[in-house]
Amino acid sequence: MKVFCVIPAFNEAKNIKKVIDEVKLMVDRVVVVDDGSTDETYNLSRAGGATVLKHIINRGQGAALRTGVEYSLMNGADIIVHFDADGQFLSQDISKVIKPIKIGAADVVYGSRFLPVFSEAEGKAKGKTAMPLIKRYFIMPLARAVNKIFFKINLTDPQSGFRAMSARAARQVVWQQDRMAHCSEIMLEVKKNNLRVTEVSIRVIYHNFGQSFFGGFKILKDSFIARLVN
Amino acid sequence: MTQQLIALIIIAWFISRLVWQKKKNHIGANEFIFWLIFWLIAVCLIIFLKSIDRIVSGLGFSGSGIEVLLYLSVAILFYFIFRLRLRFEKIEKDLTKIVKNIALKDK
Repeated sequence: MKVFCVIPAFNEAKNIKKVIDEVKLMVDRVVVVDDGSTDETYNLSRAGGATVLKHIINRGQGAALRTGVEYSLMNGADIIVHFDADGQFLSQDISKVIKPIKIGAADVVYGSRFLPVFSEAEGKAKGKTAMPLIKRYFIMPLARAVNKIFFKINLTDPQSGFRAMSARAARQVVWQQDRMAHCSEIMLEVKKNNLRVTEVSIRVIYHNFGQSFFGGFKILKDSFIARLVN
Repeated sequence: MTQQLIALIIIAWFISRLVWQKKKNHIGANEFIFWLIFWLIAVCLIIFLKSIDRIVSGLGFSGSGIEVLLYLSVAILFYFIFRLRLRFEKIEKDLTKIVKNIALKDK
């Protein structure tokens, strides 16, 4: 099975080389989508051995991901992994995320920062991942509640950017959101298409806060406007 | 009466600007006609303000005609902003489509 890893990158010259070096050991092809970076992201990604697609202007993570997924589907990917360029995710977790698809147990797998982490190498529980407290105990429970109440989706980590899909699922899951709201839209598309979903635990190294409380509101607003436009 | 006169002078100035912009080809024919009709309606409303007062009070509004016109214009403005917002979203989407196609083609 050919596994492609799509990494949207915007001004990630600091991390991209290391991320590619690690990820390429785990997958058949690394597809970096340089989303209009003004730094060396493009050149470093090419030097790192990734397939690099260039957005001539910045269109957002959702748009970059879509470009990468479309390229992967056009080039024979069987499994597509969505990964971040900032080095927060660990490449070793890719094998865990694609495993349920490989064995035919799921079409879509979400990497969850909230499930307890079991290190296969050490064979013992390593505890939960480090996440800013406000985010862990306020923002994320709120996001989970919104999903559960309004969309009847029960995921422990609805905003996780680490996920894998079979090619069949990737063809069905079509999202419109260019910016951060794409995570929620992907989740809704997966539900709409009745795809088999599972979550696996992943580890995250936090460099910054990520999505803020107001960012969450922006996601809701963007999703609402997109529904009106469509 | 004086207020009406001032309003009409201001509108006359806007219409003259409109004609000037049309002459310089800064705006298209459709846009010119739209704004011309808009300002002519405004002229009619100002001239017949007394009749509007009567209509408005007949409809049960407590405010005067000019106040109701103001409320209406705010509502219309909100609608235009909403329309603009949707149009803007559509342009954004088209832009992304172009950027994506260029990225895939240049590979």
